[in-house]
Amino acid sequence: MRILPYLLYLYLLGLHLTILSDVTSIQGVRIDLAALLVILVALYKSDLVALWFALASGIVVGSLRLDLMPWEMFVLGVIAVAIHQSSRRMNLESLTSRLLLLGGFLLLHGLAISLVISTSDFGTMLIRQVIPGTVYTLLFGWLFLLWRDGCLTWEKIKALF
Amino acid sequence: MKWTSTILGRNRRFIGFGTAVFLFFLITILSSTVRPFFGNVSSALILYPFAELKGYVAGLQSVADENRRLKNSLVETSLQLSALAEARRENTRLREFLGFDAPEHFRVVPVKIVSLRQQVYPIAAVINKGSSDSLAVDQPVINRFGLVGRVKEVMPHFATVQLLTDPTNAVSGRVAESRQFGIVRFSPARGMYFDNLPADAEIHSGDLIISSGLGGVYPAGLSIAIVDSVYAAKGDILKQVWLKPTVNLYEIEELYVLISDTL
Repeated sequence: MRILPYLLYLYLLGLHLTILSDVTSIQGVRIDLAALLVILVALYKSDLVALWFALASGIVVGSLRLDLMPWEMFVLGVIAVAIHQSSRRMNLESLTSRLLLLGGFLLLHGLAISLVISTSDFGTMLIRQVIPGTVYTLLFGWLFLLWRDGCLTWEKIKALF
Repeated sequence: MKWTSTILGRNRRFIGFGTAVFLFFLITILSSTVRPFFGNVSSALILYPFAELKGYVAGLQSVADENRRLKNSLVETSLQLSALAEARRENTRLREFLGFDAPEHFRVVPVKIVSLRQQVYPIAAVINKGSSDSLAVDQPVINRFGLVGRVKEVMPHFATVQLLTDPTNAVSGRVAESRQFGIVRFSPARGMYFDNLPADAEIHSGDLIISSGLGGVYPAGLSIAIVDSVYAAKGDILKQVWLKPTVNLYEIEELYVLISDTL
């Protein structure tokens, strides 16, 4: 397992958690980069790699709140394995199916962590942060998938202007 | 060793999953030792460099903000200092004036110069008070060093002062020591001079020339000039006396109009 790309993903996650998260947040709605990275790795790499990357991502995210570390590891690990298994058993050739899978598991991650964190204002959190956050993150996931499928290239972007 | 690598190779997937699950349980159960350890390692290796960068940028931004604030403050302070320095100079002049006694039967009205009219030399000054402040034509105008001129024109809120350096302005003066009479005049070519002084009159360089009080415009005893040089050729009827005004008419600022008490 070549770990250098995954180390770079973890550094990207670190950069996001410390700097970019605040910069890119809109009305408190943030990009769930940890879940997005884990899902994308699980879609295109093996389940073992995805699981270990999920655990490492959980540790990085959990280092900001130690009480959440096992939950982040568990939820991200489950998502990684589940995504990988689903992608093997389902026809994920179309962009829509991959986006649906991505959106579903992003929402699952948001819901699970919100359930752990929230006490009584779960509904508010769901409407104000989890769902908008999922849509916001899905937008970046969609752009990544477009880029990976070759539908979004630098030449095409330049042609727009 | 061969059998070990064979076992590892065959069960690589199982060992990988097993280790991951073991690590998860280790972190979950040992919340006071293993979890903080992984948290610290993750923070130190991945989050800390970016947190430092963020702090550094925030520090730079704070320094830039402070720099901008200090520059503004410096400009404001410079302006205040200029105003204070000007106020101090004015204060000094006014303090000096406090020791000045107006001639008998006169009262003093302080005025400020609005503009100065010049023809090589300043010849007239517009002041900020006029007939509404009891100013009238031919009232003497002085400053703390001596005679400056007289009021020539009066409007309700402004007046024009004819300065001693106006060639058409002549003042009856006398030598303070010897009491010799003469007329103080000014010409752009010769400067200020003392006219009509007999050749045998006693006058020396450094003598003070004061107003004589004759003519009814200027009260007696106001300082006009210091004798700069004296020249009398053999056979001349009059002495040629050059004067240096006691007032530097290029630097006049606050003036005082003498108003007769009888008005």
